[in-house]
Amino acid sequence: MSHATIVTPTPEGGFQPHTVAHHFKTAEQEFQAAKFAFWLFLVTEVMLFGGLFAAYIYYHGFYPKSFQAGGSLLDWRLGALNTMFLLTSSWTMANGVRCSQLSRRKEMVVWLWWTVVLAGGFMVVKYFEYSGKFHHGIFPFTQVWHPEGHYGEVLAGVAFPKLFFNIYFTMTGIHGLHVLVGMIAIGWLIWRGGQGRFHSGWYIPVDLIGLYWHVVDLIWIFLFPLLYLVP
Amino acid sequence: MANTSHDSHHHDVVVDHSHHGHVSTFQIFLRVYVTLCVLTIVTVAASQVDFGGANMLIAVLIASIKASLVVTFFMHLKWDTAMNNIAFLGSLLFLSLLFLFTLADFATRGMADPTQMSPIR
Amino acid sequence: MTTHAPAHEIPTVEGRREPDYLRVTKGFMSWVTTLDHKRIGLMYLFGVTLAFIVGGIFAMLLRAHLWNPGPDGQMFSPQDYNQLFTLHGAFMVFAFIIPAIPGSIANFALPLLIGAPDVALPKLNLASFYLWLFGTVLLSYSAITNGLDTGWTFYTPWSLKSQTAVLSAGLGVFVIGFSSIFTGLNFLVTMHKMRARGMGWFQMPLFCWAIYASSVLQVLATPVLGITVALLAFEHIYHIGVFDPAEGGDPVLFQHFFWFYSHPAVYIMILPGMGIISEVVSTHSRRPLFGYKLLAFSSIAIAVISFLVWGHHMYTSGQSEFAMQAFSFLTVLVAIPTAIKMWSWVATIWGGSIALTAPMLYAIAFLVIFTIGGLTGVYLAALAIDIHLHDTYFVVAHFHAVMMGSTAIAFFAGVHHWWPKMFGRMYNEKLASIAAIVILTGFMVTFLPQFEMGSQGMPRRYATYSEQWVGYHRASTVGAMILGAGFALMVGYLLHSLIAGRKAKPNEWGGVTLDWKCPTPPNLYNFDDEPIAGKLYDYGPTLKR
Repeated sequence: MSHATIVTPTPEGGFQPHTVAHHFKTAEQEFQAAKFAFWLFLVTEVMLFGGLFAAYIYYHGFYPKSFQAGGSLLDWRLGALNTMFLLTSSWTMANGVRCSQLSRRKEMVVWLWWTVVLAGGFMVVKYFEYSGKFHHGIFPFTQVWHPEGHYGEVLAGVAFPKLFFNIYFTMTGIHGLHVLVGMIAIGWLIWRGGQGRFHSGWYIPVDLIGLYWHVVDLIWIFLFPLLYLVP
Repeated sequence: MANTSHDSHHHDVVVDHSHHGHVSTFQIFLRVYVTLCVLTIVTVAASQVDFGGANMLIAVLIASIKASLVVTFFMHLKWDTAMNNIAFLGSLLFLSLLFLFTLADFATRGMADPTQMSPIR
Repeated sequence: MTTHAPAHEIPTVEGRREPDYLRVTKGFMSWVTTLDHKRIGLMYLFGVTLAFIVGGIFAMLLRAHLWNPGPDGQMFSPQDYNQLFTLHGAFMVFAFIIPAIPGSIANFALPLLIGAPDVALPKLNLASFYLWLFGTVLLSYSAITNGLDTGWTFYTPWSLKSQTAVLSAGLGVFVIGFSSIFTGLNFLVTMHKMRARGMGWFQMPLFCWAIYASSVLQVLATPVLGITVALLAFEHIYHIGVFDPAEGGDPVLFQHFFWFYSHPAVYIMILPGMGIISEVVSTHSRRPLFGYKLLAFSSIAIAVISFLVWGHHMYTSGQSEFAMQAFSFLTVLVAIPTAIKMWSWVATIWGGSIALTAPMLYAIAFLVIFTIGGLTGVYLAALAIDIHLHDTYFVVAHFHAVMMGSTAIAFFAGVHHWWPKMFGRMYNEKLASIAAIVILTGFMVTFLPQFEMGSQGMPRRYATYSEQWVGYHRASTVGAMILGAGFALMVGYLLHSLIAGRKAKPNEWGGVTLDWKCPTPPNLYNFDDEPIAGKLYDYGPTLKR
């Protein structure tokens, strides 16, 4: 079978046309295939983090006192600040996607910039949280474990306090990695978006990276109460 | 496809207008965002009150409400295809199986034979 | 596609309208950078066959080791024996069985069966192959450097203490896991969005339904394996404590996580095989499949139930009595959809116009062995019986009956069924029939004694054994060598057919699914004209016996 070249409608104003991949019959088919594929990818993300949450709840059941002691040593105000950073960035991302659908190039780029800045704020706070823990002798993943001062007192009487912190570091570490990947991806969107690649006829990359970004937010929505406000 | 040719050097170019995606409104996003902020405050407030064993349940419940707001509106799932809905909700269903059986094992250990109670508990 | 170019513009390539996918481009680079699902399928076929040969050599070596009860007069040290069975398992499970049918046969045949020009995401398809390759290289690297002695299951706490190459092998499994996710995801999107005009869900050939079910499992279960292996690696390097009892962790949680993936994974292995058998028995008996919808739904039912049964691997691990009873009950449920499939296949063959071709012989071998493997699975599901049989050769023989005797043989059936479509060449059918019979015989001689000595209490994974089982072990070793000879014969005549095989007919088996309606071998984008799906499995008026 050979094909006619299919393009999507391209609005005026310096936007670039999009050619539908050769093996699709219509632009709609390409759009729906990409979107369904990405939802399936999000399913794998949910299952991956789900395993970590299962481990959290399992050991919370084993050692509730240790988890409460460990959680009390995390600063919930920083956690709440980070929650606001991510929630706000999720909102700006949603608006960025909306503007790409409406072919409002400049507005889209501004919303995406806000998203990246807020994500950067999240990472800065995370950096200070991690280094604060290292400063008090609480290291991720090492045998070097000597909680000092106040930390030592709180953790003295509980069983296996390291376990809580290692789960904390693993979960927030893998989540932080997703934030970084998201920032790079949104940076790419800003670059290509500036070139006029995304418009009402073709905005699927913005849409999909937006979905990814919301899932990053989604996971943090659960991490915040479970880690910082240990029930 | 309206027109095709077997000669690969002379493709016809067809503009395909078939493509649709839902465009939400700024107002909806703003309302959802404000609700999420309020629920974050509720999360913190609820954690300061001792509800006995129910604190975990309440924390997860509020987080789930927030998450479903994000999924429904920010992620457009409300307006998305049935299959994308099934895929996402299905993942939650199967994840709940992992939780259910793993925790059922943990919670019922030593019920028939107390000597099998986990020694590290 | 409604109009064609005038006749004088059509290039003539052996009477075809377009050159076939094997000849449309040439050279090494045109293969390793291809986005064509058929070429990727052939690269997978080549790759998994190599992995199968490596795993098979490990198997024959460990069977040879068990010729004598030991410790004197055996080929290897106990430590080397531990490595042999671990590497055999790891290669066969991760590098061969899981990717074998989806990667090679489904990659080749699935788009043809649904009348699509390609899979929905061709680049992801190629990425999946290279991830598989990278993971397999890592597994091989582990085998060559430090070996691996944890068993393919990586159980903690031993896998944390073992000085062998747990990390590189674990990374290999992690990477192959992503390859598997990509494949499954790709097929799901392809089946949802790329079906030919006129093909509703229930006009889809049953191979597609089986691949659909196993793809769902790949997407849902494999991420949990990913996170489990990642945690195991953190545990190994940094002692984070999640799986190490010395640090407050619970090894039983590792087993929960591992089997949450690995039980569905055994259905990732068998479901595509079941799909192949559906196509083969229908085509070679010239009868529409009996109970089409039941077969389709039973695949989905198996996929769903497979998530509810993982605890049956853990009856002796220290999980709660309640959980064991629940898992035992749920496990028996799998027998229902599985039995439906068996009955449907037999009922399809019954009264059909049976051609005892090589694919059909393999399919019959599948039906025989799968009955054994399936029924012994029901014994093992029963809690009380399993406490006795746990970790004995009975278990070994059971899962070899379903993995080797069923999945691998279904894979061979598929290879023989689509071989003429793949290469446009036919193998020597007489040799193929002989090989099928040799393999079936070899299987029985290898594994029937293992059922018997397992029920007498011979534990698995032991380098030495007591004198009473010498006869059984030697029979089993002889059987393994027969199997090896059968496989060697098969590889031989298949390779020979590429050079000297007769040219295959356009529709070698008289198949009626869409894959037989495109040129042989297919075009780069498969079909000459856009295919339109008609009635499924329509063989015309049924022959009276």
